[in-house]
Amino acid sequence: MGALAAAIAVGLAALGAGIGNGLIVSRTVEGIARQPELRSALQTTMFIGVGLVEAMPIIAVVIALIVMGG
Amino acid sequence: MEAYDNMITRQRKWMFYLLALLVLGAGITPYPRIFLGLLLGAVLSFYNLWLMQRKIKQFGQAAATNQPVRGIGTFTRMASAALAVLIALRFEDYFHVIAVLIGLMTAYLVIMIDYLLSKSRN
Repeated sequence: MGALAAAIAVGLAALGAGIGNGLIVSRTVEGIARQPELRSALQTTMFIGVGLVEAMPIIAVVIALIVMGG
Repeated sequence: MEAYDNMITRQRKWMFYLLALLVLGAGITPYPRIFLGLLLGAVLSFYNLWLMQRKIKQFGQAAATNQPVRGIGTFTRMASAALAVLIALRFEDYFHVIAVLIGLMTAYLVIMIDYLLSKSRN
């Protein structure tokens, strides 16, 4: 059951991160393609967005490994 | 490119300060196991931060010059978090697992606090 719990935790977290990152990246590419002079500001916003989105799947990976290993 | 590069430099500076504090804590305080766990997590978190900064810079450059865009390194960051936990579980006498988890989150804390501080200054 531990392996199943770990798989569900990592899978759902990766799904959420994938959707979130996809939204962020697509909007950033649109913005940079439209106004390349705003690249630095858009990159900064993208960086903070990706950071916020990816905190959760990393916690999920850690918890999944603890569930499997402990 | 100034805003992004300045942000990278600030975050790197804060991470080095934190790492120095954790090394001091591991050496001086009577809780080396907790501080070593925090240190292990923070080192891999710093690697994650460096990778994210580098990948997003490459991504912006590729998007601006219409080059094909490769990934932004999500899987590598998840794998490095897994590596930290595997090391902590393998050497449980030296590293506290929950401290490793908290250490892994330091880069995200640094990102958020730096963002809030720079926003309140401007």
